[in-house]
Amino acid sequence: MRWAKMISILMAAGLLLSLSAAAQTPTEVAGKCMTCHKEKSPGLYQQWYQGKHAAHKVTCIDCHGANEGEPDAFMHYDGLIATLVTPKDCGKCHEKEATEVANSYHAKAGQILESKDAYLAHVTAGSPVVMIGCESCHGAKVEIDPDSPNKLAAKSWPNSGIGRINPDGSLGSCNACHTRHNFSKAQSRQPEACSKCHLGPDHPQKEVYEESKHGNTYYTNKDLMNLDSDTWVVGQDYYVAPTCATCHMSATVDQASTHDVGARISWTLRPAISVKKDNWQQKRANMKNVCVSCHGQSFADGHYYQFDAVVELYNEKFAKPSGEILRLVRENNLLENPASFSNDIEWTYWEIWHHEGRRARHGASMMGPDYTWWEGMYMVVQNFYFKLIPQARAYDNAEVNAYIDRLLTEDPMHAWVNQETEGLKKQIRSGEMEQIYEEFFDER
Amino acid sequence: MFQKYLRFVRGVSVKRVGLIGVVLVTSSVITFIILELARLAGLLTNSYIGLITYLGFPALFIIGLILIPIGWRQRKKETGKSTRELLSERFAPEETRGGLFGSTVFKTVAIFTLANIVILGAASTRMLEFMDQPKFCGTACHSVMNPEWVTYQDSPHARVRCVDCHVGEGIDALIDSKLNGTWQMISVTFDLLERPIPTPVHQLRPARETCEQCHWPEKFYGSRLKTLVSYAKDSASTPAYTTLNMKIDAGRRGAQSGIHWHIAEENEVRYASVNDEREEMIWVDARQPDGSYKRYHNTNLVDPESVAKAEYDRVLDCIDCHNRATHIYEQPDKALDERIRLDRLDRSLPYLKRVALEAITNGYNDSVAAMAGIRNHVEGYYLRQFPEVSRTKSALIDSTIEVLQAVYNRNIHHEMNIEWGTYPSHIGHEGNDGGCFRCHNPNLEADDGTAISSDCTMCHSIIANEDRRAFKYLTPPDTADADYQMHRYLQQEFMRFMEEQTK
Repeated sequence: MRWAKMISILMAAGLLLSLSAAAQTPTEVAGKCMTCHKEKSPGLYQQWYQGKHAAHKVTCIDCHGANEGEPDAFMHYDGLIATLVTPKDCGKCHEKEATEVANSYHAKAGQILESKDAYLAHVTAGSPVVMIGCESCHGAKVEIDPDSPNKLAAKSWPNSGIGRINPDGSLGSCNACHTRHNFSKAQSRQPEACSKCHLGPDHPQKEVYEESKHGNTYYTNKDLMNLDSDTWVVGQDYYVAPTCATCHMSATVDQASTHDVGARISWTLRPAISVKKDNWQQKRANMKNVCVSCHGQSFADGHYYQFDAVVELYNEKFAKPSGEILRLVRENNLLENPASFSNDIEWTYWEIWHHEGRRARHGASMMGPDYTWWEGMYMVVQNFYFKLIPQARAYDNAEVNAYIDRLLTEDPMHAWVNQETEGLKKQIRSGEMEQIYEEFFDER
Repeated sequence: MFQKYLRFVRGVSVKRVGLIGVVLVTSSVITFIILELARLAGLLTNSYIGLITYLGFPALFIIGLILIPIGWRQRKKETGKSTRELLSERFAPEETRGGLFGSTVFKTVAIFTLANIVILGAASTRMLEFMDQPKFCGTACHSVMNPEWVTYQDSPHARVRCVDCHVGEGIDALIDSKLNGTWQMISVTFDLLERPIPTPVHQLRPARETCEQCHWPEKFYGSRLKTLVSYAKDSASTPAYTTLNMKIDAGRRGAQSGIHWHIAEENEVRYASVNDEREEMIWVDARQPDGSYKRYHNTNLVDPESVAKAEYDRVLDCIDCHNRATHIYEQPDKALDERIRLDRLDRSLPYLKRVALEAITNGYNDSVAAMAGIRNHVEGYYLRQFPEVSRTKSALIDSTIEVLQAVYNRNIHHEMNIEWGTYPSHIGHEGNDGGCFRCHNPNLEADDGTAISSDCTMCHSIIANEDRRAFKYLTPPDTADADYQMHRYLQQEFMRFMEEQTK
């Protein structure tokens, strides 16, 4: 009886062992990839070799191995492989991350063909620009070309856009942030990982971060950031400064890290008029939890008090009126040319909200003074009063003119244009001017 | 007898032309004999003497012989006298009187003519022999041939005569080469040649006729273990070893097919290249067992238009890979690796490899500047960066400089515009597209979609690849290593190959 039991245990163990051996890629294939690529693409090999994947025996074929029937699979020497490594492939090991990414706003970045931005690039510039100028950040829809050596159409590959639409149905591209083939944690934790895309006139997160105290202290103390550490909990593993990843993704003492980059964002600052996101209270609480790793509670609350007011101010004073002016111009058929973006005034409006208005809001969200005012709201003001309004008045339409006249006389925020400087200065000194904007500050 | 000779000589020395002719003939014969005796006695060793003995004197001898009748003819025209009248004027009557075998003068002329034929025959044989010597080829046209002469002397074929490969055997080859040589003499004299001389040299005899005199495909070549050492540019010039077991057999025994498969009797490879450099292929044909050819097209031509213009197609032979079997121009870093390996350069000098490489590749205008520049660079570097080394190891630094200057002079020839890399070698593969990879790359594709294999282990097992251990993959693989799988694979591959070979 005892013998029978032992034999059955041994057999079971043997079965398990053989199963685990079978699951591993055969040495002939795995070893062969490295042999050649060490010689033919030594940089790639060295990146991998120095990385954590190599340390854990994750080799070429483990990520690039393909299954029969996959549309982008092709025979390469003795192995069936695919060039494209998708979140589905990475998710075989990094399951939690893959799920979080799939549910994040990042994963949807490739579905932009219907957006105004895509329309603008396609129509006014042309598709070659779309590939590199839009899709290398947003992600392309990867097409299959049976004649291509790696089965991928040259117009959609290479592409590492964060919302790439992959042939296997998955969305995204992990190496947008986790640069291949080292996949270094340190690299993806640095602001540069994000600033391939989050920069420029319409969303200058990189520039705002650099001018903020956060960026300032990060670049001063980069050596102390412990960027290579396995765990990276703010306040525990590092404390000198936050990076983009710190606030939007990484762990705090009592909050787990997340690959859903929207999980801590309460406003959406992208559209013409900002709105609070679904479940924004929880998301804000998540962010404040990061803030208080280094700041007091009242500091975090105070920041949101000031930031909210800038967003509300922008919404009410400029976003809504300029939108209304454009609506009236369209409604009265005043535009000369039929296509969107074929009239002056449309560009003026576009730049006010899509560029300058966003800059002001992004500046405020991340405590960047210059972007809030000179690069942001200052430009909004100038173009609202001295470009948009004159262009709208040039149509000489009664309804449009009436709206503008009413705005500039009846709205206390705009009434300054018809007043004497001395009187306005007096209002500043007396606090009367401040009172006009009091409504934008929430109850505390 | 001597008196008789003098009388004859005086008799034929008609006019100044005839006199000059006689002097030329006599003096060249005498000097030829003296020089040849001196050479045989070992008194003369200078290589240029041959040039004078076997080319100069026979030429003067012939010119002299031609001048003598010219003088005679001039005199005849001037005086309007007949030959008999002139003869009786120049010679005593008893000498012109007819005997059993003609007159004394006639007999003397006949004897001298016979002697001339013997002398000329001997001289021209010696001349051809002399021209077959590497020394003649290498030094006669000094500046033109010097680079080839220098590299030849330092090559695996240094004991094989130039003519054995460049001329070959048989009267056709001889005539061809002499005709070519005449043109070469003209182009050297009037400076019509290109610098550097373009390769490949089309006048070479077909490689299979020459190379296979010594190296023949039926021989079993098996495999050969080869360790290449390269030294890093760090302070210790740390060595890294690449050990390859080269599979070089022609493939008589099935599975053992190796690199010389290309020249096995049953195989034939032919190709068309974009230009004469034979570096970019347009297509490559491989003969199949049924006699048909399978064609692989280059799907990645630099200029697809070139297909139409290309006219360079040929059957692959030894030279297509061993294009630098003899006149080997080194790559600067490889040249240094070799000198370090042979202990001619001492890597106890800090940053030796880096400094040496900079010194020989700095780009000098002529060899005088190069010699000074190499010295300045090396001396200056140690003086500035390692004053202590500069002081205590000055003799070593000095000998290092001399070795580097020799490396430079061996490989760089300003007078012929030969720089580093002017003549690339096609053996093996430097980098990612030369040598074997000209054809063995995924871009050469047949209509059925198959490509010419560029599988690393097809041509060599890999025992170490730029590693600090020369036989790394023969040691047991360590599961903790990142490239454990590669280690195991390469070890198994080598073992399989060797087992196959000993079956």
